[in-house]
Amino acid sequence: MLTTTNNSTTAPRTLASKQLPKATPWVVAVASVIIATIISFIAFSGFNIPVVAVLAGLINVVAVFALSGAYEGRRKATDRVATTVVTSSFILACVPLISLLWMTVTKGGAAISFDLLTRTMLGMKGVLDQQYVAGETTMAGGFYHAIVGTVLITVMACIISIPIGVLTAIYLVEYSEKNRLGKAITFLVDVMTGIPSIVAGLFAFALFSTIANFIMPDAAGIAKTGFTAAVALSVLMIPIVVRNTEEILRLVPMDLREASYALGVPKWKTIVKIVLPTSVSGILSGITIAIARVIGETAPIMVTAGFAKTLNWNLFSGWMSTLPTYIYDSQLRPVSPGDAALASSERAWAAALVLVTLVMVLNLLARIIARVLAPKTGR
Amino acid sequence: MFSYSKGIFVKLKHLAPSAAILAAGALTLSACGGTSATGEEASSGGDSDLQGTLTGIGASSQKAAMDAWTADFAAENSGVTVNYSPDGSGAGREQFLAGNAQFAGSDAHLDDDEAKQGKEACGADGAYEFPVYISPIAVTFNVKGVDELNLAPSTIAKIFKGDISKWNDKAIKADNPDAKLPDTKITAVHRADDSGTTENFAEYLKATAEKDWDAEVSGDFPKDFGGEAAQGTDGVVQTVSDTDGAIGYADASAVGKLSTAKVKVGDEYVELSADAASKVVDASDKVKGRSEGDLAFDLARDTTESGAYPIVLVSYHVVCSSYKDQETVDMVKAWEKFVVSEEGQKSAADSAGSAPLSDDLRSQIETVIDSIKVEG
Repeated sequence: MLTTTNNSTTAPRTLASKQLPKATPWVVAVASVIIATIISFIAFSGFNIPVVAVLAGLINVVAVFALSGAYEGRRKATDRVATTVVTSSFILACVPLISLLWMTVTKGGAAISFDLLTRTMLGMKGVLDQQYVAGETTMAGGFYHAIVGTVLITVMACIISIPIGVLTAIYLVEYSEKNRLGKAITFLVDVMTGIPSIVAGLFAFALFSTIANFIMPDAAGIAKTGFTAAVALSVLMIPIVVRNTEEILRLVPMDLREASYALGVPKWKTIVKIVLPTSVSGILSGITIAIARVIGETAPIMVTAGFAKTLNWNLFSGWMSTLPTYIYDSQLRPVSPGDAALASSERAWAAALVLVTLVMVLNLLARIIARVLAPKTGR
Repeated sequence: MFSYSKGIFVKLKHLAPSAAILAAGALTLSACGGTSATGEEASSGGDSDLQGTLTGIGASSQKAAMDAWTADFAAENSGVTVNYSPDGSGAGREQFLAGNAQFAGSDAHLDDDEAKQGKEACGADGAYEFPVYISPIAVTFNVKGVDELNLAPSTIAKIFKGDISKWNDKAIKADNPDAKLPDTKITAVHRADDSGTTENFAEYLKATAEKDWDAEVSGDFPKDFGGEAAQGTDGVVQTVSDTDGAIGYADASAVGKLSTAKVKVGDEYVELSADAASKVVDASDKVKGRSEGDLAFDLARDTTESGAYPIVLVSYHVVCSSYKDQETVDMVKAWEKFVVSEEGQKSAADSAGSAPLSDDLRSQIETVIDSIKVEG
């Protein structure tokens, strides 16, 4: 009884309760950052990024809860707090990514030049770096050989792993019918996904060392080639290609296959003419993701292809450098120790920028391919 | 359905122009010739007619010197590619003995077991080894108002062990009677990571001040000695230059403008210099029981030789006494001769800050290199 009288005396109840303006969360967020900055300046005498971030986050949550609780009621306030926490987590997750990209673009962008892209480390020595750091000459050295190595090794890895991967996936989806072999393959592919990349590298190196010992017992170090590295990378690549392709092939509707069988088309032709074309965009983007995954591998390349300083177009003989091993080597073991190590570091950042750009272009390519080749719907 | 699958190929054809552009771009990039570090084609003057590839694996301490050597060697022998993988001394010796490399770089000479294995890998005369890279380790300090500092081994040991905590301590005063030492706290900076620099530094202290340095010699700095840990050579140098009252040890090439201490040898205090560093190798004895061509030295850390600076890192090249074919023999000879030559040593000194070998040692090494022959 009491409640009804209460209701009748206060404002009439409507379905839409009072709401804060739409921009409120953003205004509150900006305000909390400002307050946190002021506190940071007073308490820590300066702009301390972690302190400001933590303080701003806390103030934001409390302020949103208080404001919304006072104006919109408890339920709305809880909802707004949940939204705030989820959004903050998302921003937090973006921080490393953005800071990484920012570092690469600023540091690499400052160092990169056309010369770096077209020169190798042939004839590179510490004196040249010392002269550069002292401001006497321009930057010497470059990573043309590493770009060539990256492209050649990755292409070779694709040539090895794409047919194996795609055909394995076709077997699993179209032929195995969950038999023992199929289950065993699925299990092994799962295990392969978890292989640490250095183990893949050691495997390839051990394999080719053994083979090399049989063929040419006296030749030292002929097992380290670009091809060995490509084999190591394909060990990492095959399971990803199999997994991605398998998922995509399973998405092809059974109706399509059955319609094809009903017309008397044999199984292999159904797969080649119906199943694969339907899923080609997915398969290609899956392959591109696999390439992007292995192109940045460092450890297996170090073991299998060494650290070359010169241009080598031959995958089957001689050492090769790739961008990741080049970056690792330059940063960790500069051409000139001491102050002039800065020059090596700059080359490493420039190479990092090229590598990141390469991976991004590949991802973009995957999207474009997927869009262009996607089967038209709604027919 | 049929027309549907045809559609895919039509779509692929749409992609063809962009693929062609990409391929053309790749070709243009590859067409630009200047592929050396400076963009100039290597001069063909004085080029030898050697052809082939030499593979070396080993110590990362030699990497900067190796870069300089390979660069200059390639200028004179454009047909030879020298590859060096800085996987570490241990890995280098192991891979060399297993026949996976023609030469190894190592911060330590082969031990007796490895020397025996060398006979299996290289034939009756076993492996030859000789020092190629001598790098002095500086004891560097940063104390306001102090430019010169003399230190006896036991004082260094006590400082890094934490037994001496102030710069105006009696022991330091005894070494520097004329200096005005402040009442600053000593911050002893050491390497946080496993390193050859730490190992050589500890070896020196163990040999010269065993009473004060009672820790095992290893690449890791003893944990219970305290002090400030810094990552890598650059980290040590950075920490020392940032901290008033700091003292550290680092490869001399990386020290830059910091002051370095003079170290007591015999009755005098020796300043760090390239000559002083190579002198200690000359004052050392060869390891006993090795073949004629095995120039492994037991470094005389406790030498009293006047003007020798005993805190050095000595890195070796290990080669075979005989190889299977004449081509390899010629290449190895040319390469190692260049490495120890006056020109090669100077190039390493300029680029990597190492100390050149003495003439006496060079002629010994050259005799060894000359005796490398074809197996048979």
